[in-house]
Amino acid sequence: MTHDDDRSLTQALEAAREAGRRCALATIVATKGSTPRKVGARMIVDPDTGLVGTVGGGCGEAEVIEAAYRVIETGKAQRVNVDLTDDLVSWSPAVCGGVMDIFVEPVSPEPS
Amino acid sequence: MTSLHPAEAARLLVEIPERGGSVIVATVVGDNQFTGNRIALIVIENEEPELRGSLSLKSGTDSVIQLMKNILEDPRASDGLHELTVADHLSEVYIELRRPVQELVVVGAGHIAQPLAHLGALLGFQVTVIDDRPEFATRERFPSAEKVIRANFSDPFRETPLHTRSHVLLVTRGHKYDYACLIRALRMDPPPAYIGMIGSRRRVRATYVQLLEEGITHALLDRIHAPVGLDVGAETPEEIAVAVAAELIMVRRGGTGASLKGVERIVERFFKEDK
Repeated sequence: MTHDDDRSLTQALEAAREAGRRCALATIVATKGSTPRKVGARMIVDPDTGLVGTVGGGCGEAEVIEAAYRVIETGKAQRVNVDLTDDLVSWSPAVCGGVMDIFVEPVSPEPS
Repeated sequence: MTSLHPAEAARLLVEIPERGGSVIVATVVGDNQFTGNRIALIVIENEEPELRGSLSLKSGTDSVIQLMKNILEDPRASDGLHELTVADHLSEVYIELRRPVQELVVVGAGHIAQPLAHLGALLGFQVTVIDDRPEFATRERFPSAEKVIRANFSDPFRETPLHTRSHVLLVTRGHKYDYACLIRALRMDPPPAYIGMIGSRRRVRATYVQLLEEGITHALLDRIHAPVGLDVGAETPEEIAVAVAAELIMVRRGGTGASLKGVERIVERFFKEDK
């Protein structure tokens, strides 16, 4: 994450909080093999405004977004394992040959 | 005290490095009742370390804090997972670490300075541009710079003193101006993170002759990156700026500057032609 990425992510989290919206924060906490983004990459899933940041795009990210909606609904954090090792010959951007371990947590508008 | 809110933690990760401090955030990410609990440790030079938030654990907080302190002291540490005993259970703690923001000081506000300031900001540097000509040292010419300063080159760093996080790029319009700034940067103790000077071989040599006469040692001369940038055949100001930015990345990350194709040699290693 560059300093600018950190900044836009912070602004998005604070905007959601001020508006009283519940959102989810996804963080790549570990990777194996080659992955589109590295440990530390973060993404916010805000049901009202969409995505801020990226955890790599493609099918892998779609799985994370699905998990984020579950997390927002249940209020319970979840670990998502995204496997990008299959189908190495396809040209999808998700094909990198690695595995990502992603922590998806709810962000409530109230102070925790 | 309760767990640090994700938005508050995110803000600390931005603000503390801008103030020249380090910050480390620990989040319990193991599957247990404490998942998502967060604390932050803030360390600013000459100030007492400060803890924000609470993990709300019955036991184990001390070992998390000790882990955070150890990571802070490891210069090669980065974000990542750590296994720890938290409240009598083995759990995972995810660490986020931000060091003080690095600064890029562009001395000279001419045509190369513009793409340089822009790229510097893109790479996460706090950019300062200095020139003695008011018509060049303007906000309009450097929208992505944090500061644009009009200063005399005989004392260019008075308003923004250099420090160990400073990356100084000398791109003034003349050798004599570079020289005045260079000697100040070289005499700094501790030295700035990077000193680069643009110029032809002749111009660089002439500057070094003058510096040696002033009593600057060979070891100090060797710290200067001049001519500045990686050899990519750059011609235009924009191309030169990219070559310089690439060198800044190389210094920051410890790369070699070589083409990855040549390093990996994938065709040669994996696709040998059948004879």
